[in-house]
Amino acid sequence: MTDTIVETGAARAVDAVKTYGSGETEVKALAGVTVSFPAQQFTAIMGPSGSGKSTLMQCVAGLDRLTSGETFIGETALSGLSKTDLTLLRRDRLGFIFQQYNLIPTLSAKENILLPLTLAGEKPDQVWFDTIVQTVGMANRIENLPSQLSGGQQQRVAVARALVPRPDIVFADEPTGALDSRTGMEILSFMRQAVDDAGQTIVMVTHDPHAASYANNVLFLADGQIIDEMPNPTAERVLDRMKRFEA
Amino acid sequence: MFQLAWRGVRHNTGRYVATLIAIMTGVAFFTATGFLSDRVINALEGDAVRQYGGVDAAVVVDYEADGGQFADDLRIGQDTADAIAALPEVAAVGGDLSGSVAFLAPDGATFADNATGRLWIEDDELNPIDIDDGAAPVAAGEIAVDKGLAGDEDLELGDQVTILTLAGQFDATVVGITSFGNSDAQDSGGTVSIPAPTAFDWLNAGQAEYQDLYIRGTGDQATLVSAVEPLVPPGFRVQPGDEFLQDKQGEVSGFGKILKTGLQGFALLALFVGGFVIYNTFSVIVAQRLRELAVLAAIGATPKQIKRSLRFEGLVIGLIGSALGVAAGFGLAFVLMAVLQAVGVSLPGSGITVSPSVVYQGLFVGTLITFLSVMIPARRAARTEPIEALRQAAVETSPLSRQRVITAGLLVGLGALGMLFGPAPAIGFGALAMFIGVIVAGPIIAVVGSKIFRPLLGRLGLEGRLASDNIARNPQRTATTSNALLIGVFLVTLVTVAGTSVKDFAVAKINELSSADYVIESTGGTIDDGLIADLEAVDGVDAVTPFRREAVSVVGEATLDPTLAGTPSALSTGDFAALSDVADLELDQGSIDDLGPGQVLLISDLAGTDPIGKSVTMTNSQGGTVDLEVVGVLKFSLDSGLVGSFVDTPTFDAFVGETAPTVAFMDIATGAQSDTEDAIDEITALRPDITVTQGNALGRIIGQIFDFLINAVNGLLLMSVIVALIGIVNTLSLSILERRRELGLLRVVGMEDKQVRRMVRVESVLISALGTITGVALGVFTGWALIFGIDRLSEAGIAFSLPGGMLALVLVLGIGLGFLASLIPAQRSTRLEVLDAINAT
Repeated sequence: MTDTIVETGAARAVDAVKTYGSGETEVKALAGVTVSFPAQQFTAIMGPSGSGKSTLMQCVAGLDRLTSGETFIGETALSGLSKTDLTLLRRDRLGFIFQQYNLIPTLSAKENILLPLTLAGEKPDQVWFDTIVQTVGMANRIENLPSQLSGGQQQRVAVARALVPRPDIVFADEPTGALDSRTGMEILSFMRQAVDDAGQTIVMVTHDPHAASYANNVLFLADGQIIDEMPNPTAERVLDRMKRFEA
Repeated sequence: MFQLAWRGVRHNTGRYVATLIAIMTGVAFFTATGFLSDRVINALEGDAVRQYGGVDAAVVVDYEADGGQFADDLRIGQDTADAIAALPEVAAVGGDLSGSVAFLAPDGATFADNATGRLWIEDDELNPIDIDDGAAPVAAGEIAVDKGLAGDEDLELGDQVTILTLAGQFDATVVGITSFGNSDAQDSGGTVSIPAPTAFDWLNAGQAEYQDLYIRGTGDQATLVSAVEPLVPPGFRVQPGDEFLQDKQGEVSGFGKILKTGLQGFALLALFVGGFVIYNTFSVIVAQRLRELAVLAAIGATPKQIKRSLRFEGLVIGLIGSALGVAAGFGLAFVLMAVLQAVGVSLPGSGITVSPSVVYQGLFVGTLITFLSVMIPARRAARTEPIEALRQAAVETSPLSRQRVITAGLLVGLGALGMLFGPAPAIGFGALAMFIGVIVAGPIIAVVGSKIFRPLLGRLGLEGRLASDNIARNPQRTATTSNALLIGVFLVTLVTVAGTSVKDFAVAKINELSSADYVIESTGGTIDDGLIADLEAVDGVDAVTPFRREAVSVVGEATLDPTLAGTPSALSTGDFAALSDVADLELDQGSIDDLGPGQVLLISDLAGTDPIGKSVTMTNSQGGTVDLEVVGVLKFSLDSGLVGSFVDTPTFDAFVGETAPTVAFMDIATGAQSDTEDAIDEITALRPDITVTQGNALGRIIGQIFDFLINAVNGLLLMSVIVALIGIVNTLSLSILERRRELGLLRVVGMEDKQVRRMVRVESVLISALGTITGVALGVFTGWALIFGIDRLSEAGIAFSLPGGMLALVLVLGIGLGFLASLIPAQRSTRLEVLDAINAT
């Protein structure tokens, strides 16, 4: 983590526009978003369905391409990268946590956690690996296959997988959406801990005010634009803000 | 529910494509072979009617008499033909006479080496050959050639040609182009029609004789036959026209019918393999639609309705696929014809015969196999509980059941026991039980194979390891896919292994029989001193020993076996000592020194019991007879079979006349056999009457026949292999569809597209490797057990030969084809954008 990244943000979007379809059926998912995600911070993106929050994350994470504008991971502009370059960038510099189906069913929990490193042909930092696995509480189930784990346990493995390679940024898309609230809280605590203790940068898309309250900062999106921002959020304030916007 | 089924078909078109292709391919093979064979059968039968319809009676060689080895040498003399023609019941007589001819190009090379020269029959109704263009050959020096020959060799009306016949070289003019019914020629190597006076000179050493007589009568056939009967020479018989036509039809279409049965058998096997593909596809489709089916069950569809709906889907798909297959079969028939044409095989007849029976059969078997293949998946679908609709987890099948392990183990074990220790029927049932056992064991093999290959493939990287894990994920599906391939590979291996062993055994046995190095025979011509000198001048040729031979038949004689009366045989004379030096001629009884005038060394198959001192009467085709006293018996061998009975020269001269030798044995210096072949061929190429056969050629011919059969059967088994490959493409495509989320995730966390594609390819190669290796192993074992069983039960002592090169080829091909099958699914695996892949439901 260098100082420049701290100043310019771990990831940025500049005039990001994303449209689907054309002519009468054209839908603007992102209508010129400029945003910076500061390093070593936990940022949440909120907004109603169709607001463009997932699209924003996917474009910044190199999973999707913009119609116009530019996104950066650190100082790397993504629009110039080939499909393979994007794959390698994701592998080497990014981590992902999805709502579900996060794991490869034929690989054990341990193999799943090491997947990005295995693909890169790198050896894990054993101490760091043990720390993460201890933190998420999976040390004793590490050899199990995903089908032998509960939903919450699977999500802990997914979090571990995202954190073990020490990526520049972890992108999380509704990481607690499929979990009961107690398990969800645990997952969010791990993520919070990773930011506080290890200086990890996390960007999370969610529609759950309680989940958003774990973030340092909440961005509100509507109709493809950032309409508000809330530092140091609490669940109640986020909920209030959300209620306003739906009215 | 029918509407639901129809919707099911329509909404899942993509998934059904491979099923359709599998049905289509099988049905197409089935109908194409049917169409082609029917064309051949129709053309040949039609030809027979058109060509021989005008024949009211025919005098033909009586093949039904024992032996028949020399029956083709028998001739009907002109006097007999004239006598028959003079009968009041006879309207016209046409004689059939043929012999080998060839053409000599100005540069000295020969062409149309396998052509047949035929006496042109004047009577239009009796002549099976028609003039297409030009005129019939009438005058000496005129010939007509068939249109195939004319086309192949660029012969045109008015062309001057040099024709080689057994009587020498002659100049001739092409005056006509002929055809034979729907086919070009009556003879596979081409037909050259030659008018009457010339034909006797060219084809029959100047003798006016015939091989068959075609007779047109004035009244009914029965009267005609009984009138002709007394005039029929020995070794011949007279047939009413209807019977003759039937024989001709049977002769010509028998080939077509065997062809049809054989080809369609293999096509049915391909369809059977297609059944595996269809079963697999429907199983996957049912698994994927589990939720939809569960919703149906939840809202009140009864299991019966669901089952019926799926079966109806199968029926619709089966009918559509079969109909497409019939259409494709029509096209395929043309393709096959073009391929055959390209390799130089022209089938009789023209166009394709679309027989309704083949169309109906194709539709029926295709639909039936689809319907049957859908039964089990449909029953499984009907068992869907409504609760499944609410379950989230992807469907992973249960681990291997103990029941399956026990069943497979029992079948394989009992099968092996039966084959190794049981009586003859148990070998057959054992092989079947073992085969079924291995098919049942498929999922076990998939799991074990996955474990075995995992460390090896792990070295390829993560994608290799994932690929080997994937084949164990749904062992049942992997097994069905690889089993489809296994069937073809197993049969190919079995045929190759067992066939090669039997071939090697037969060839070795025949080669144990000693014989002359070469046998030279002249049909109609003679082995003259010039030819002998030419041949002896060839480096490596030690001796050429000619002898004189006459086709004879034995006239019934009470002292010998009366059932041998009329048996065609041969009578020869020459230098017995010189002959027995180069050929395998031995006496069972008596001695050559005993042989005097009017005495004979009788060939053993005519001897009956205790013939010494008895008298035997022989007759030749000219009707001459001779009484001979038996003083010795010639032991039967490959060579003595060619010699027949042996008399001294004065006796032969008195009976046959002072003819020249027509046969010779040739002795080659040890080890020089293959070196002399070309030189001998070069000398004899100018003499179309001469046939050179390697003395031990039988072994070689049998070897070639076996090789041809093995290759032909294997070629036909390819049909089932092709269908099995479609199965692999299908299974992989469906698996990819099922795992698109997972593949998406792998790509998100950093697996490159090329790695994903490699993973799919490795999986495909693995599936095909499982099928191929298991198939080869099972085929080798079954082949070995069969040979072992034959030896055990008959003490035949057949050695087991393992055609290693061939098996290696099968392995490489099977696995290589697996790679080929993976290309489309591999491409498809990364076609979806990463984002769509992970968002897919």
